[in-house]
Amino acid sequence: MTSLPPRPGSTTTQPLRPASPAPRTVQRSWAGVLRQELFASRGDGLVSVLLILLILASAVGLLRWAFGQAQWAVIQVNTTLFAVGRFPIEQQWRLWLLVVLVAALSGTSWGLLRAFPRADRSGELWPFNDRLAVALLGFLAAWLPAALALGFPLQLRWWAITGLLVAMRWIAGHWGRSWPPRLLKLVSLGWPLLYLFGMVLIAGGLGMSRVSPSNWGGLLLTLLMASFAILLSFPIGVVVALGRRSSLPLLRWSSVLYIEFIRGAPLITLLFLGQNILGYMLPGGWAPDRVWRAAWVLTFFCGAYLAEAVRAGLSAVPPGQLEAARSLGLSMPQALQRVVLPQALRIALPAAVGQFISLLQDTTLLSLIGLLDLLGTARTVMANPEFLGKNAEVYLTLAVLFWCCCAALGLGSRALERRLDPTHSPA
Amino acid sequence: MPSSQPMIEARGVQKWYPNGFHALRGVDLSVSKGEVVVIMGPSGSGKSTFIRTFNALEEFQEGSISVDGIALSNDLRNIDAIRCDTGMVFQQFNLFPHLTVLENLSLAPVVVRKRRRSEVEAQAMALLERVGIAEQARKYPGQLSGGQQQRVAIARSLCMEPRILLFDEPTSALDPEMVGEVLEVMRNLAADGMTMVVVTHEMGFAREVAHRVVLMSEGQIVEEAPPETFFTNPQHERSRQFLAQIL
Repeated sequence: MTSLPPRPGSTTTQPLRPASPAPRTVQRSWAGVLRQELFASRGDGLVSVLLILLILASAVGLLRWAFGQAQWAVIQVNTTLFAVGRFPIEQQWRLWLLVVLVAALSGTSWGLLRAFPRADRSGELWPFNDRLAVALLGFLAAWLPAALALGFPLQLRWWAITGLLVAMRWIAGHWGRSWPPRLLKLVSLGWPLLYLFGMVLIAGGLGMSRVSPSNWGGLLLTLLMASFAILLSFPIGVVVALGRRSSLPLLRWSSVLYIEFIRGAPLITLLFLGQNILGYMLPGGWAPDRVWRAAWVLTFFCGAYLAEAVRAGLSAVPPGQLEAARSLGLSMPQALQRVVLPQALRIALPAAVGQFISLLQDTTLLSLIGLLDLLGTARTVMANPEFLGKNAEVYLTLAVLFWCCCAALGLGSRALERRLDPTHSPA
Repeated sequence: MPSSQPMIEARGVQKWYPNGFHALRGVDLSVSKGEVVVIMGPSGSGKSTFIRTFNALEEFQEGSISVDGIALSNDLRNIDAIRCDTGMVFQQFNLFPHLTVLENLSLAPVVVRKRRRSEVEAQAMALLERVGIAEQARKYPGQLSGGQQQRVAIARSLCMEPRILLFDEPTSALDPEMVGEVLEVMRNLAADGMTMVVVTHEMGFAREVAHRVVLMSEGQIVEEAPPETFFTNPQHERSRQFLAQIL
């Protein structure tokens, strides 16, 4: 804290001091750091050497396999299958359009996030992390299409899409502050609108031909199921958490019943059960086929766990907050919406994101009820005699894909947490 | 000077907590417009519970209370009307930590009174100026000292333009060196003619600012007198004991 430069707007007056010696920073050489961190004592050194050898050995083995023995043709040939399953080729432009829209909106939101830093901070327009992220995106755009042996037109498309994202990040970051409020409101409305429009692009409608859910597959199906369950489980979780704390007995007991029923059964059981009975439980047309039934089971499953996370958040908000809001004349719904829930949800955020990450991974169970999500697609590919025995290549690819998705969720939630933390100092 | 127009009329208020504890045993109090009433008493005597009944943060089972001519009943519209007219300042400040100081002040006027945000913010800045912390308007409560937070809390109540202010031990959670700045703000409010009911142990404030001091003990009012009489010549044995303990 002592070395902080005075912030603009801070009122503490710095007492005039005689020229003090510059703070001494201990300059240590790399070798010095290494010696101190890894080889401080004989025992430390032994552990370090053993671990380094172990890591090197396995890394060398993995790399030798990946670039020598492994035959990546199984991925290269089936790229489309892994990405979108059996989505009809002549309709795939709809998915490209969706990717373009997502990239444009992501770039815009990202830029606006930097253009409008928190009221109490002076945010940097291009912080180190952002420059790193752009560099990483550039590398992926250059390397991945080539590694997947995509044709040149496809490579070009990915470069254009990455370029679009970075360009929108640039434009929104630099000029977002001067955009009219109506445009800014449109951007924040853009995400829910895009989700609905994305559904139409995927499923059909608005004059586009229908693509049956049984033709959705691969990463498309996995992301669709996960995002559907995450988005819809959120309101369910909030309502059920409030219900569990309600003073109305019927509401309270049905909330408890719902939570305990869901949490008391393994997801795979619920998925099989859902295939058989959800048609009777939901209004007609809500769960027309296997994919939608599975989506609703995932949603209700996630909702129950989320309700418990939100409930923990609600009990962590001091009762004085509600009293203060009520004493100012806010009605109960206003007090919940403006004062209690924002704080409770911020507290519940890490637990909720943990839940979302495990939900994303749980979508692999869909392959067990016969859906062609990422894992289901992988199993059909590996069952193909042409690619027999290529399990390692396929599973490693799957693991990396899931790892990337979960890392993105985790990074995003941590950034959100920092932005919402009222006590986090900018240093 | 207080007028004779009554702002708070409490008659025979009785309250039992759900566990059976008899917290208020028939309390009568009337507060006139522009009057400053200080309520003192040992902890557990029911003084906080009593002022929290004025804006329906606590229920009571028997008796009647009317605030600014509106009877407190189970009618939600009455309760909301009273809460809009009655500001409350809490021991623990209870600022909204996820909102900036300015947003803390403007939330209720915008949401409840449906006023324009720009107009409310101008008023809020003027109030922050008045309590001496206008330069902190864009900070979050967690970045402020206790004394500053309590001054924000007072400004937040004032932003609803209340006719009565209730203070529930406003300085008890503060470090000693910050008590003065909060009392100063309260003193100015009293001088401006605000009707105030203050639960506090600050003898100096009571002596200097209060028109009347009320001593509560075990859910009842034991003594009610102007400060000069109360501190120099208390009539009741219980008051003498209390004063001996805190002096």
